[in-house]
Amino acid sequence: MRVLLVEDDPDMAESLRASLSADSHEVDHADDGGIGEQMALDGGYDVIVLDRMLPTKQGVAIVRDLRGKGVSTPVLILSALHDEDHRIEGLNAGANDYLGKPFSTRELLARVRALWNGRDLGPQTKLTVGGLEMDLLARTVRRDGKKLDLQPREFRLLEYLMRNAGQTVTRKMLLENVWDYHFDPQTNVIDVHISRLRSKIDRDFSQTLLHTVRGSGYRLEG
Amino acid sequence: MRPRLDALLRTTTFRLALVQAGVVLAFVGIMLVYVYFSTVGQLIRDSDALADQEYTTLERAYAEGGMRRLNQEVVERAARQGPFLYVLAESNGVVVTGDFQQLPATPGEAPQRVDFSFERPGASGETERGQASGRVGRLINGPILLVARDLGDSAVIAGRITRVLWTVAIVGLIVAVVSGLLAATQAARRAEQLSTTAREVMTGDLTRRAPVRGVGDEFDELAQALNAMLDRIEQLMHTTRTAGDAIAHDLRSPLTRFRQKLEAALEKPADSDADREALRKAMDEADRLFDMFAAVLKLSRVEEASNWRLTRVDVTEILRELLEFYEPAAEDEGLSFAGEVQDALFVQGDHGLFTQAVSNLIENALKYTPTGGRVEVRVVRRPDARIEIAVLDSGPGVPVEDRDRVLERFVRLESARSSAGVGLGLSLVAAVARLHRGGLHLRDGLDNATGGKGLTAALVLPAAA
Repeated sequence: MRVLLVEDDPDMAESLRASLSADSHEVDHADDGGIGEQMALDGGYDVIVLDRMLPTKQGVAIVRDLRGKGVSTPVLILSALHDEDHRIEGLNAGANDYLGKPFSTRELLARVRALWNGRDLGPQTKLTVGGLEMDLLARTVRRDGKKLDLQPREFRLLEYLMRNAGQTVTRKMLLENVWDYHFDPQTNVIDVHISRLRSKIDRDFSQTLLHTVRGSGYRLEG
Repeated sequence: MRPRLDALLRTTTFRLALVQAGVVLAFVGIMLVYVYFSTVGQLIRDSDALADQEYTTLERAYAEGGMRRLNQEVVERAARQGPFLYVLAESNGVVVTGDFQQLPATPGEAPQRVDFSFERPGASGETERGQASGRVGRLINGPILLVARDLGDSAVIAGRITRVLWTVAIVGLIVAVVSGLLAATQAARRAEQLSTTAREVMTGDLTRRAPVRGVGDEFDELAQALNAMLDRIEQLMHTTRTAGDAIAHDLRSPLTRFRQKLEAALEKPADSDADREALRKAMDEADRLFDMFAAVLKLSRVEEASNWRLTRVDVTEILRELLEFYEPAAEDEGLSFAGEVQDALFVQGDHGLFTQAVSNLIENALKYTPTGGRVEVRVVRRPDARIEIAVLDSGPGVPVEDRDRVLERFVRLESARSSAGVGLGLSLVAAVARLHRGGLHLRDGLDNATGGKGLTAALVLPAAA
């Protein structure tokens, strides 16, 4: 993927560039809001990672203007301000995701990939991963033709995992996207939900689809 | 004394007292005038009417029988020793006959009213003094006729009434001024007590409180409001002071461990696995530091009410979702977990903060309740139009004497030191409660196996329509 990184702190930028490159992305970097916006307008990027506080032009204003000019490239805003209000402001401006500093590199990489997965592919009615089939209209899930009985929340959890199949999703991403919770539970509550889901989709089958990625999160893979 | 009097004269209360005294005096004055005219005035008017009647009768006698007839009538009537006094004089003022040797008043052209004092020899020889009121006038062709009525007892009564009225007026004035001064002094003293308290607090004695007399007047209310404000300030000051120490202390430990891990990794000969483990642990400590900073920053933001726009929040929905969210974790921990949420409960609040606050309470209960225990969530609308979100557990509980303290920043009971968390959970919930104009209350919870009472953490917030 081609990633545009707009970040003014040189150390931070260098470290992000290294991580993204190591995750086999091609990275262009701008250290100024105005320049960053121009590069985004020139196009050709799959994902834009945008710092919120930038010289000459703030991140939120850049997203708003990009969206106003018809640029629909997914945008992830990085910010030291990550209260609900700031997050909502960023998302309302047109950003696709919002990540508070400090964050782990894995979290960032997972989200960048999820943004690429989440780009608009047109209306889908079916998701398929391995032998797992989800019918979004009938709200049913089958594995190898066998119907699985899922609670509504388990359905949403699995839907998110399937939409990001093959990618690592972090606990934080699950919390934000499946439950819309923006705080860190001190307990292992997400793991318990995952293990329940796993017992429904994997227990009676020889091949495991839902994998734990140590230190990061989970990955659904066929 | 001098400056106090000056201060007193400047007070609003004193000015109000003066105005009130003035109003009272004006009212008393009007009453006195009314009393005077309806007593003394009436006496005089009655007597004047009689005198007028007598004058008219004599005038008629003069018209019918001339000077001779009039003279005769006057002599006869004067001899009767009736209530009237008579004087008949020539047009040049020389007295012809009557009770006095001289006219007590000179008449104009028209008959006029006349009041006068007189002295005359009494029946038993001594001089008789009196007050009289009547009419004097010139008849046709010049003779002067005076008919007056000896006010006698009436004058005495009128004099007494007048004296009484004056006395009442003067006493009233004194009472009004003195009571006004007393009221003003009293009010000024109580206001002064409040100012004194405020000044003492300003000079640093945060433990001072304004006296409350318990009569429930506006000064008591003011004193109570002032005291409540001081309680809050003192609590904040205390929290700030202890938080400073606690932050320093709590940040030191993870920073120290952080440094140790890195140092250990450096000192040992290069060993990929051991290095990685040391670095991983160092990173965990760094994360803990970040969590603490984030929690402190969040708490500060929550405590600044102007940061938040409160909207209508669906308590029922949030609570049911949280129960569903935590149910599997509770079951996994071997806890019995039950929830009871009334329908259609709303508060005016911040969705994210409210959710986090309740989540903190539930997590605390799950974290501190040992396997086999019980956690219950009860959400009800109370009769006083407040919503209570109570999280009850059968854990070790919090001793009564520590319950206020655990709501302070960074305070964690020694028994909880070993578990994860930074000691900001409950203080965040308490701050969120204050932001929502409610409170967080800790009390006994569910009975546990060791004979303890567990803990109930109850968030009580005003309900929105």
